Amino acid sequence: MKDKPILETRGLGFSYVDGTQALVDVDLAIPAGKKIAFLGPNGAGKTTLFLHFNGLIRPDRGKVYFAGQEVRYDHASLLELRKKVGVVFQDPETQLFSASVRQEISFGPLNLGLPREAVLQRVHKAMQDTGILELQDRPTHFLSYGQKKRVAIADILAMQPEVLICDEPTAWLDVKHAGQIMDLLTEINGEGVTVIISTHDVDLAYSWADYIFIMKSGKVIGEATPECIFYNRQLLEEAELQRPWLLDLYEELQRKGWVSAGLPPKNIREFLRSIRDKEPA
Amino acid sequence: MNDTPTTPGYQRRQSVSLLKIDQYAYINRLAHVHPLEKMVLALVTMIICLVFSSPATSLIVILSMAGMAILLARIPASFFLKLMLAPVAFLLLSVLTVAFVWVKDPAGLLWGFNVGCYTVGVTSRGLITAGDLFLKSLGAVACLYFLSLTTPMVDILSVLKALRLPPLFIELMSLVYRFIFVLLDTADKIYTSQASRWGYATMKTSYSSLGQLVSNLFTKAGRNYQMLYTTLTSRCYTGELNVLESSHVLSRKNLFLIILFEAALLLASMHLAGFLTPFAGGAGS
Ligand SMILES: Nc1ncnc2c1ncn2[C@@H]1O[C@H](COP(=O)(O)OP(=O)(O)O)[C@@H](O)[C@H]1O
Ligand SMILES: [Mg+2]
Repeated sequence: MKDKPILETRGLGFSYVDGTQALVDVDLAIPAGKKIAFLGPNGAGKTTLFLHFNGLIRPDRGKVYFAGQEVRYDHASLLELRKKVGVVFQDPETQLFSASVRQEISFGPLNLGLPREAVLQRVHKAMQDTGILELQDRPTHFLSYGQKKRVAIADILAMQPEVLICDEPTAWLDVKHAGQIMDLLTEINGEGVTVIISTHDVDLAYSWADYIFIMKSGKVIGEATPECIFYNRQLLEEAELQRPWLLDLYEELQRKGWVSAGLPPKNIREFLRSIRDKEPA
Repeated sequence: MNDTPTTPGYQRRQSVSLLKIDQYAYINRLAHVHPLEKMVLALVTMIICLVFSSPATSLIVILSMAGMAILLARIPASFFLKLMLAPVAFLLLSVLTVAFVWVKDPAGLLWGFNVGCYTVGVTSRGLITAGDLFLKSLGAVACLYFLSLTTPMVDILSVLKALRLPPLFIELMSLVYRFIFVLLDTADKIYTSQASRWGYATMKTSYSSLGQLVSNLFTKAGRNYQMLYTTLTSRCYTGELNVLESSHVLSRKNLFLIILFEAALLLASMHLAGFLTPFAGGAGS
């Protein structure tokens, strides 16, 4: 990988107090500025790994590196890390602590010690970017689940991190709102932020990510670009993952010669184009 | 984003008065008024009502608080009435114990019955005291309803903060307030899932289901708290819940009107209590 990694782990291992081995010898390097997906079934260790990236858990074995620097666990270093790596947790209900949307979002930037004016400005921008400006005076407990999710993302955006980690961003969202959240994450990535998500949705990872890590039983068992990773049938079998249906369909049509040659499509739009572009025989 | 706040939970929540009060606090016509003004109005009125403890003052307080909530804040009259009726049964019961006396000599009782060699009955004085107490309590309740229907908790907390109450106290209040809703929602979900499996079909299963609901709720609350701590830590929490205070502006006009109202209430109450007798008539005695 030629890009300089923004997050790296070497020999990372972690067990919970009850003895569950959540991470086993994880070595990985996450390229900066990309859209990254961690793909794996429930219990694979994705959330545990993300907690390490934010210094919320101290590894039993191995090390975590941010931008080439080893992560230290003293108070000041942790604050510095958390300023640069933000985590949006899976359940917004446990993340939102304030009854007011504006106050909720102001918590992070105020902790960074910014002056009031800067905080106001960041809170405003975060609300604007996540499309929740009109909710700012509503109490959080009267928001819908999708709206809470947006507030949870704005919480972290307002801290302007270099890496935004989103644990299961589409969990419990309907198709339309899940799509909106993924578009939002793409926009955030467009502003230069490395965006990392976890998911068990193969189709989502395939069409959204620039680079995919596959996790199972606390290990990273494969990593590659989506174009490559889903051609590795052995890996998919080991991970007990289905192939993206789009890819299966595309291959079938390609065999029949009904689609134009080129890279496989990432989404429906690209897929339809590859059919339309095919000259009638 | 046309994503309306209508999860099934939200629909069901509408029936709960507490949640409805909270909702009105954010959408009433006085929501934008500085919380300090509303707090002063409600609390001073309540103090006057409690200090004078005369039925006339109490009635004026009840009517003016109801009037302001209904006409100024535009809280539906029926909802305000429903809220006022809620404590009535409870108040009647507690006030009855004041009205009844327990005497040996039944003379002077308006009405009574014998229990052994004693008589339990009501005196006219007891009845009047009970009536005073009843109206006084309703007056105080009306003041509190006015405040909670017009002022979001968030605003009340920011005033308390500005008044330099201990931060720990304020943060606790704000977390409790936030998590009342999380817990209510959780309880609601557990209840639905139990009810859908016949958990409340008979008296016996109801008891055991309810027991499970409560213990489940506590476990969930504990886990919620742990998660909350983790998520706060990830946002650089260092022991203080710093948030931006809302920026309301005090209105001189409102403050003037509030002072005027309180002064009028005070004078009327004093007059009714006989402290203020007109010079011409009262001087002779
Ligand atoms: N707080 C915890 N205590 C004990 N075991 C846990 C805890 N959190 C997660 N685990 C266990 O660690 C493993 C990895 O979990 P997790 O990181 O949450 O996976 P994922 O996010 O991929 O679903 C699972 O076996 C899970 O049961
Ligand atoms: Mg997880």
